[in-house]
This record gives sequence, C-alpha cells and structure tokens, in this order.
Amino acid sequence: MKWSNVSLIYCRELRDQLRDRRTLFTVLILPLLLYPLMGISLLQVSQFMREYPTRIWLIGADQLPDSPALLIDQKINPALLDLRTRELLHIETSEDDDSRFRGLIEPFAERPPKAVSEMIERLVRNDMQQRNVDLAVIVPHARDASGAGQANARFQDRILLFRNSASDKSNIAADRFKAALGKWQAEITGSMLRAHQLDPQLLAPVSVIETDVASRKNRSAALWSKVLPLIIVVWCLTGAFYPAVDLCAGEKERGTFETLLSSPARRDEIAIGKLLTVMSFSIITSLLNLISMAFTGFLVASRLGAGMAPAMGIGVPPLACFGWLLLALLPISALFSAVAMAAASFARSSKEGQYYLVPLMMISLPLMMLPMLPAAKLDLGTSLIPVSGLMLMLRGLIEGNYQECIPFAGPVCAVTLIGCWLAVRWVVRQFNSEAVLFRSSERFGIATWAKHVMRERDDLPSIGHALLCGIVILVLKFFVGAMIAAPASWAEFSKQTMIVLIATVGTPAVLMAIVLTRNPLKSLKLQKVRLSWIAAALLLAFCLHPLFTWITSIVLQLYPPTTDMAVTQQLLDTILSGSPGVWAIIVVIAIAPAILEELAFRGFILSGMQSIRSNFKAIILTSILFGVAHAVFQQSIVTFFVGCVLGFIAVRTGSIFPCIAYHAVHNSVFAFITCNGPSLLDGPFGWLFSCNDGTYVAYRFWPSVMLTSLGGMLLLWIWEQSSRRSTTPLASQPHTGREETFTFWTKRTLFP
Amino acid sequence: MIHVSQLKKTYSDLQQGEFVALNGISFDAMPGQIYGLLGPNGAGKTTALRILSTVLKPTSGTATINGYDVVKEPAQVRHQIGFVSTNTAIYDRMTAWEIIRFFGLLYGMPAEELQIRMEVIFERFQMNNIRHILGSAMSTGMKQKVSIARAIIHDPPVLIFDEATSGLDILVSREVLKTIERLKEQGKCILFSSHIMSEVHRLCDQVAILNRGELLAEGTIHELSNRYKQSDLEELFFNLIASHNEDREPVNTLV
Repeated sequence: MKWSNVSLIYCRELRDQLRDRRTLFTVLILPLLLYPLMGISLLQVSQFMREYPTRIWLIGADQLPDSPALLIDQKINPALLDLRTRELLHIETSEDDDSRFRGLIEPFAERPPKAVSEMIERLVRNDMQQRNVDLAVIVPHARDASGAGQANARFQDRILLFRNSASDKSNIAADRFKAALGKWQAEITGSMLRAHQLDPQLLAPVSVIETDVASRKNRSAALWSKVLPLIIVVWCLTGAFYPAVDLCAGEKERGTFETLLSSPARRDEIAIGKLLTVMSFSIITSLLNLISMAFTGFLVASRLGAGMAPAMGIGVPPLACFGWLLLALLPISALFSAVAMAAASFARSSKEGQYYLVPLMMISLPLMMLPMLPAAKLDLGTSLIPVSGLMLMLRGLIEGNYQECIPFAGPVCAVTLIGCWLAVRWVVRQFNSEAVLFRSSERFGIATWAKHVMRERDDLPSIGHALLCGIVILVLKFFVGAMIAAPASWAEFSKQTMIVLIATVGTPAVLMAIVLTRNPLKSLKLQKVRLSWIAAALLLAFCLHPLFTWITSIVLQLYPPTTDMAVTQQLLDTILSGSPGVWAIIVVIAIAPAILEELAFRGFILSGMQSIRSNFKAIILTSILFGVAHAVFQQSIVTFFVGCVLGFIAVRTGSIFPCIAYHAVHNSVFAFITCNGPSLLDGPFGWLFSCNDGTYVAYRFWPSVMLTSLGGMLLLWIWEQSSRRSTTPLASQPHTGREETFTFWTKRTLFP
Repeated sequence: MIHVSQLKKTYSDLQQGEFVALNGISFDAMPGQIYGLLGPNGAGKTTALRILSTVLKPTSGTATINGYDVVKEPAQVRHQIGFVSTNTAIYDRMTAWEIIRFFGLLYGMPAEELQIRMEVIFERFQMNNIRHILGSAMSTGMKQKVSIARAIIHDPPVLIFDEATSGLDILVSREVLKTIERLKEQGKCILFSSHIMSEVHRLCDQVAILNRGELLAEGTIHELSNRYKQSDLEELFFNLIASHNEDREPVNTLV
C-alpha cells in the first residue's frame, strides 16, 4: 500500500467534506447548537419542575382530635411534615359542606353501598371542579376511642380521600397529605399504646439510619461514567455515518467514483483514505458533542442553583475522565467508521445509504445499552463483548476503579482491535467487489424474483440460500417459542420438542432444498458413506465429550447462568424424571434433533456456505448460525464449538450420516449422565467420573485427557481417510457438494 | 498498443439471470490511431472500456495496454491510460486546479513538473478563467474540459473516451472532437466509443460495431462500406444491428 496515495485521498476527502454544508451542519454545527438549545429548554422546563402548591378541601375538620393534632391554624401540624411541603399544602375548610357530606357517609359504618358511593363521587367531583381543588378529604364524626382508657378520647376510624388520578397535581396532593396522615396515625397509635402502658417503640424496634458515604466527586463521577461513554459511542456512529454515505454512495451517485477507480490509487488505498476521513469526522463529532455537552452542563448546573444540580446528579465530571474518553475514541471511531463505510458502500445512492443508518443503529443499540444496565459489571465475560466491554471499562476508569479495570484491559483491547481489524477488512473487501461498487438498480418483484430463483436453480444451494435458511429457522424458532406455553409434563415436553424441531428446523431446510436446488439429496448431504466413518463418528462423540464438558464449565464461569436459567433447568430435570425411560429421553433430545438439525445445518446450510470455496469459512459461518439458533447465550457458545467438529466431519465425509451419529451420541451421553448422576460411579464407567459433593458428577482429569487425545487421533484419521478419497484439495474442487456436512440437544451440555 | 483477445464479461441479473455483456470480442488499436467502438445502448461498449481501464475484471479473455495486462498489472495499466466518460463526473466541491493537481499527484508526478504541466494544459484548454471555480459552479462544457485535462495530465500514451460528447451542446462537442484530433496528432492511441455516426465518421481510423456483447464487424470505414456495399455508415450500422437482432429474441429495453 502506498501511504502517499492514502494521504492524498484523505486530504482530498477531508477538504471535500469540509466544503459540504450538510456534513458540516450534522457533524460540526449541530453538536454546537444542540446542547445549548437543550440547556435552554431544560432551564425553561425547570421552572415547571418547581414544586407547586396544591389545594386540599377538608370537610369535617372540626371532628379532628386536638391531640395529636393533624391541623394547626388551618395548616398541617409542623411535626408531621417538613416545612417546605407543609407550605405547599393549602387547606380549605367549609362548615356548610360538612353536614351535607357527612350526612351521606355517616349512616354507613363501612363503605357505603355502590349507588351511594357513586353519588358521593359525583358530588365531590363536581365540587372539586368548582372549587378548583386537587384533593377532597372527608372526616366523618369522630367516635369514642373505646378501650383507649381515656374517657374523652375520640378518634376517627376512617378518613376518605377523593383524588383525581388523571391529574398529576391531584396525585401529588394525595401523596403529600398521605405522608402527613401516616405520621399522624403513628402518633395516634403511640398515644393508644401509651394509654395501655406500652412502649410505642414496640412498633419500630429497630431504627434505620442511612448515610451516603460517597463523596460529591464520586457521586458526580457515577453519573458521568454512565452518560459520557454512551455519548461518545452514539456520536461516533452518527458522526461516521453521514460522511460515510457521502464518500461512498454519494460518490457513486455523482459519478466521481469511477474516475477514482481508474486512477493509479489501489482499491485498498482508496478505502483506507476514505476510512481515515470518516474516522476524523467521527472523532470530531464525538469531541464536539462532549465539549458542548460538558459546557452546557456546567452552565445549566450553575443556573439551576446549588441545591438542585446535585439533586439531579449534575456536577463537574472528573478531569481524568476526558483522558480516558479520548483514548477510547480512536478504536470506537475506527470500528464504527469501518462498519458505516462498509454498509454505505453497498448503497447505490445517498438516499439508499441513509436507510441503512436505522438498522445499523438497531444492531449497535443492544451493545451500547448493555453497560447501562444496573447489574452490568466488567468481568471476563463482558470484557469479551465488543463495544459493551469497552464502555464498561470506560465506566470503571471514570469512576476511578483502576484496580477492577486493569485485569480486563487485555481482553477489552484485544476484542476491540480484532473488531476494528475485521471491520476494516470488510471495507476493503467491499471496495474490491464489483458486485458492490457497480450494483445495478433492479426493480424487485415477487414474480420476477420467483422466476429468477427457478431459472437460476443449481444442483446445490448458494450462500444466499444458506443465509436465508438460517434466518428463516431463527425467526420461526422465535415466534413458535414465544407462542407455546412452558411444558408441565413429559408428554407435553416431548410433543412440543418434536413439533418445534420439525416445524422450525427440518421442514424449512427440506422445503428449500426441494424448491431452490435441482438436487435436494445432494444439497442435504444425504449421501452414501462408509460404515467405518459412521463408527468413527460414534466413537468420536464419546471421546470428545469430556472436552465439551470442560468448555461448558469455562463458559459458565465466564457467563454465569441467571436464576431464570437455573429454574428452567430444574423444571426440565423434573420433566425428564417423569419420562417413561432413558430410551424416550434419547429419542426426544438426542435422535430427533440429531436428524433434523443436521439436515438443516450440516445439510442445506453448510452446502450453501461451501459455495464461498473455503471450507474453513463455511464451517465457521454454519457453526455461528448453529450457535445462534440455540436461544441461551452460554449454550450458543458451546454449540458453536460442537458445530465446528460436526462441520469438519460433514466436509470431510461429504455426508450428514456420520454427523447424525455424532450428534445423537453427544446428546445421549449428556442425557445419560444427567439421568444417572452419582450412581455412575458404581457402574462400569466409574473410572471415568468423580463426584465432589455427592450430586455433581464430573469427568476425571487423566481419563478426559486420554479420551480427548483419542478423539484428536480419530479426527486425524477421518482427515487422512477422506484425503485419500480425493486426490485434489477439497477447497479447490468445483462446488459440487461432495464434501460436506448435523444438531444436538445442548441444554444438557450447559447444566450437566 | 491496445490488444484485446476473446474478452468476455458476464453479470448476474435478477431479470435476465446470467447476462453476457461481452461475448469474446477481440481487436487491436495502434498509436496515432483513433479506434471507434460503435454500438447501440447495451451493446457492451462501456463494459469493454471499463475493463480496459481496470475498473472491472473480465470473466475470461485477455487485454493488454502498452504491453501491460489489465488483470495482472492493473497499476501499470492505469499509468498508461487516461479515461473520460459520460459517467466520469468531476468533484463538485473542488476547483478545476485542485482536481487536476489531485490526479497529477496520484499519478506520482513530481510537484514542479506537475505545476508546469498544469500551466501548459490550462493555457492550451483555455481554462485559466475557471482555475478557481468549484465543480458545482461549472457549465457542462467546462466540466468536460476539466475531465479531459484530468485524463491527460500525466501524458498517457492511451486515451479512452466513452461517449465523451453525449449530452454536450454542438459547440462543446466540436471542441472536444478537436481536442481528440489534436491528441491523435500527438501520437496517442485513442479508443473512442459513441453512437453518433457523424463523430465516428469524422474521427475514427478503425471502427468496430458491437451489438449485444458481440463484435459484428471491424475495419476502416472504407473497408466496411466495400464489404457491406453501403456507403452510408448509419445505414450500414442499422442494417447490421437489425439483422443481428433478427437472429435473436427481441431486446427488452423496458425493464
């Protein structure tokens, strides 16, 4: 790569973008205007956020006892409410109304009949509207406090509140008044207890004293640590997208792209030059947003006054946080710029390019929102999630928790750099693809498309067919899974499992093989195969089982199962215990998924993926889809690795039959271990297992190593045998589908 | 100078499935010669020229420019050619001077040499008055002048003009054609595609008639007139295309 060309292209694009008013507005002007405008709005709104007085219409105030007093001089007793709130409660009384309402209510010891209640409600509602009050309170006649030990003690046994739940002011008034009533009730209870020579403290034997030990600086950092990384990430993406659309789709539209492509600059030089420009705008947008927001934040905080700003969590962010943010800006902008460019390069026009922003945001949003969750914390598991890991690390660094962050700096940096590298590679690849750069604008119609599909049918599926099959399976699984209720018995469980497998996995794959290809049997890899390979696959599943159990335990350490998952697992254990026998479990959770999932994944999908002429990539892509098809995240990771082994077998043997054998045995072993538990130690396989706490069965170390080594040798044997079958390397053979492609019940792999 | 042999290019198209844009065409063009590619819309002219300018890769066949293979040595090929087409617009947010300087630097020209060359070209093309005008403010004629200046800044031995006069008014077209003639006089090998017969008649030493990706006829205009007993190039062109189309399904021009 000639860096002088990259530099030339970078300088040209930068100058070009700086002369584009639309980009300048979005990237530079908008951030400078947005936050001050938001600040002005906040200040305006803050006037309305002030606490307004509320009016209460109190009927029967004369019935309230003198001690403890609820009202003193037409106001709430200062002992019951803080002074500020007390001032906000305006109480109105009217003797004329007292008899009118009390007369309606007092004949009924409890709640009046429905008809009377409705009448009272109507009357009160009308009066509230006329008097313009927020809350109406009716105090019926006081009754003698029988048993209180005080001859002259009279207390209310009920007070009726009428509020308008559709009015916020009415709700606030009710809350304020109820706070006073709560304390007043406690006072009454106290005096009653005292009358009975009992200590009022009996009601609250333990007093709770709460103190916030966080310094003001830390409180402020806690807020900024959540807000600032999000601002940086969101604006990095937004700032990258508009220049990316203009530099890729815009250039195509204006016709200048072809000029550049015929110049001596190579495609990768053009891609990198443009990428650096997009990155620059992404960084500038983020920084300007950050600066503008910080500046506006300080001004708003100072205008709001000393009391209100800390209450709202606004304070001066720690200075060091800006250093961390700047450091993180580079990889985040590189990642988002590359992703935005790759997406924008696919578009034929600026308008089409802008349509891609929303899906890109929707895909990125979960990664951005994950660190905002209260339970999210930086650990090995989260540090391996792109964007989220970096945001959590930034959060920790801004809060000053260096000790907690440093151990995960390595994984976070590695994941971020790998993400950047992959995204940049994607961009360069897009720029090298004629199909992307010169995509023609064809009108899409279902009939045209169907004709095209039938006309272009090949013996084997294409990568597009494979991806479509994968997406159809995922979508069907989601909807069918959401529609069916959790099984309560073995019969329900087995029926549901079979229906789900057939409807969402097997049927789409088989139908697509029939409709979209000329040779369905070959597409599904239903090819004859040597019995020795099936036997090897059966043995291989036994041998590699300890390895996958080990991988499962690592995954569960990295991403511990949630309580819901543990409950689901318990439920599943209960259901399985109700099965007619181990054979039934094996049929439902081993053999059925083995056949149906293998047809779909190692059959149709892997066959399609192999059209990219790289068996390695085909196996990885198929295994990713296979992993994602298993809903539980931890399960997906383990499934991915199992998928790789199954993919290897399918590619080397060219048939799914050995894969079905492997898959069925793999799931059966898990079922067998789960069903038998510690009793395995007394059986013929006792040498293979240990039991630490009497319930949890695990593989012994050395036997596991031995079995895994044997598994490795079996894989080599399959490799060697299949290489003999063909003298030419499989990846270089034309895409005939000879060399391919299986599923399994992996819930058991997670919670053995 | 330009050697094209059995050049083939296929695209996958939703409407037509596998679509053959070029079906094994072959021709040669020499220095000091204007070689015309004549054909209706969709004949494969632009595809052929895009392959020769290394923008597209052929499905099969070979093409060399000044001895460099367009697939194996694309970087060297790009230094040998200047490419102007109706699709090759100029940057709206750059001045004429900036555009030509940018491409000159991309071609690896030393700054001083580039400066002198630019002064010469701006003088020769009478572009000094638009030196500091942004592309968005230029007229179509000005833009085409800048495009040609951009294509010849590095003094390439081969120039490719793809419908370079399409959409231009008569005055500008005339000026463009004069420029092409001057370039021919300088010994450049020029590949010129058009569907305007008068231009082809006036400029081209050799002509190749393309239709539906196939080369129907090739030779000098005189040779073609003698071969097909038709003195009028337009009539000759029409008859050739019509008889070729008759052998095939009607072209669905409306998509």
